[in-house]
Amino acid sequence: MANERRTTIQSIDRAAGILKALGAGPLRLGVSELADRLGLARPTVHGLLQTLVVHGFVEQDPASEKYQLGPGLLQLGYSYLDLNELRSRSIVHADRLATRTGLAVRAGVMHGTSVVIVHHVFRPDDTLQILEVGLQLPVHASALGKALLAHLDARVVDGLIQEGLPKLTKHTLSATRLRQELKTIREQGVATERNEAVLGESSVGAAIFDRTGAAVGAIGVAGETERVFPRAPARHPAQAVIEAARGVSRELGAPRWSVSA
Amino acid sequence: MHSTLSNRDAGVTSTLDRGTILRWVTEIAAAMRQHRDYLVQLDAAIGDGDHGTNMNRGFDAVLRALDADETSPPGRLLILVGRTLVNSVGGASGPLWGSAFRQMGKRLGDAPTFDAAALVEALDAGLAAIVDLGAATLGDKTMVDALQPALGTLRGAVDAGQPLRSAVRSAAEAAEAGMRATVPLQARRGRASYLGERSIGHQDPGATSTAMILRALERAVSGTG
Repeated sequence: MANERRTTIQSIDRAAGILKALGAGPLRLGVSELADRLGLARPTVHGLLQTLVVHGFVEQDPASEKYQLGPGLLQLGYSYLDLNELRSRSIVHADRLATRTGLAVRAGVMHGTSVVIVHHVFRPDDTLQILEVGLQLPVHASALGKALLAHLDARVVDGLIQEGLPKLTKHTLSATRLRQELKTIREQGVATERNEAVLGESSVGAAIFDRTGAAVGAIGVAGETERVFPRAPARHPAQAVIEAARGVSRELGAPRWSVSA
Repeated sequence: MHSTLSNRDAGVTSTLDRGTILRWVTEIAAAMRQHRDYLVQLDAAIGDGDHGTNMNRGFDAVLRALDADETSPPGRLLILVGRTLVNSVGGASGPLWGSAFRQMGKRLGDAPTFDAAALVEALDAGLAAIVDLGAATLGDKTMVDALQPALGTLRGAVDAGQPLRSAVRSAAEAAEAGMRATVPLQARRGRASYLGERSIGHQDPGATSTAMILRALERAVSGTG
């Protein structure tokens, strides 16, 4: 960030800083709290806030006079999702995958060291579930992330490993085992993850390719470990996941789904 | 509910037995039933909303399993608690508390009674199991943030010769302080970590139920359960 500073515009940096500060937690913040947090003068922060209010990106709570994010951002967020072709092409296949497997379905794209969920279909039952769109899965400890990594340039994997792979549970893979697994994923076309990010939860995923043949995202199922990996091998979701990924890839114009499975 | 309560001057002799364990899990089950919706609410903010129902279902299953057991020594009872939790609780709390109770039970062994020092050692084995499985350390916004300070406080109080009842009360207070201290933290483990910075400002549901489990222990050793 620091060496990118020279090419950015200061006031936009500051406005972005305000938005991120307000978005970092559920509490409203006052002008002086924001000024302290960002190391800026109060009048500067006040002026930036007023401008953001005009655009609907920030709003002021009339009772406390403190600031919070505004609904204009939600609109922008949804525009991002609407523009995301991978998401729109995933919707039908994701629904079908959820019905076939009885599991929740996620589709995601790579963002730094995470996979951001751009589409989520609830597990088809009537239990309480929370929408996962926008959540960030660890790339080394999710089926979506590993499915993507297996088809990305080796330098991406090297870079990720150099940054260090946080051990999220006892079952998170080491760098060596991750490299081995990526090879298997390339051969079999499907990635599995067992209790590697959250204990008791597992996932199966496969990469989605675009018209250039590049891996641009991944789709898969997630849920309680016993449901994702049922005792009866016939009910293993791998084949259904592969078919969903192949379906989305075909709609994106992929020349062929790069794995024969 | 159970007829095998130990008869002693509360906390003075600090002789604990299977009655202590039965009272503890009965108190935990009651707390999880009472606070189920609160835990669901906390978990819905930063998790997947099932923590309260999972803990409630798990400890109800534990009560049914223990009801059928009339003879096991305290260590064996704890192992049964752990095994039942693993088999009946989804999410992360099943494996975490399941292996914690199992390790506590193993540490107590087959003796019919145990003392305060053995309780500390058992809880220590439980914490070690949780840290090993969950790969979490203090400040990751998990149950460790409540359990580790509670155990440190308990050990200090027991070593200093405090009566067990007040030692466990101090431990429960330390757990609650640790629980409250999770609010400003960003989650680095568990489902809440998927939220990144958005996990800041919310109390961790796992630390919250852990503090309840420590309060339940206080009531169990007070014999007022």
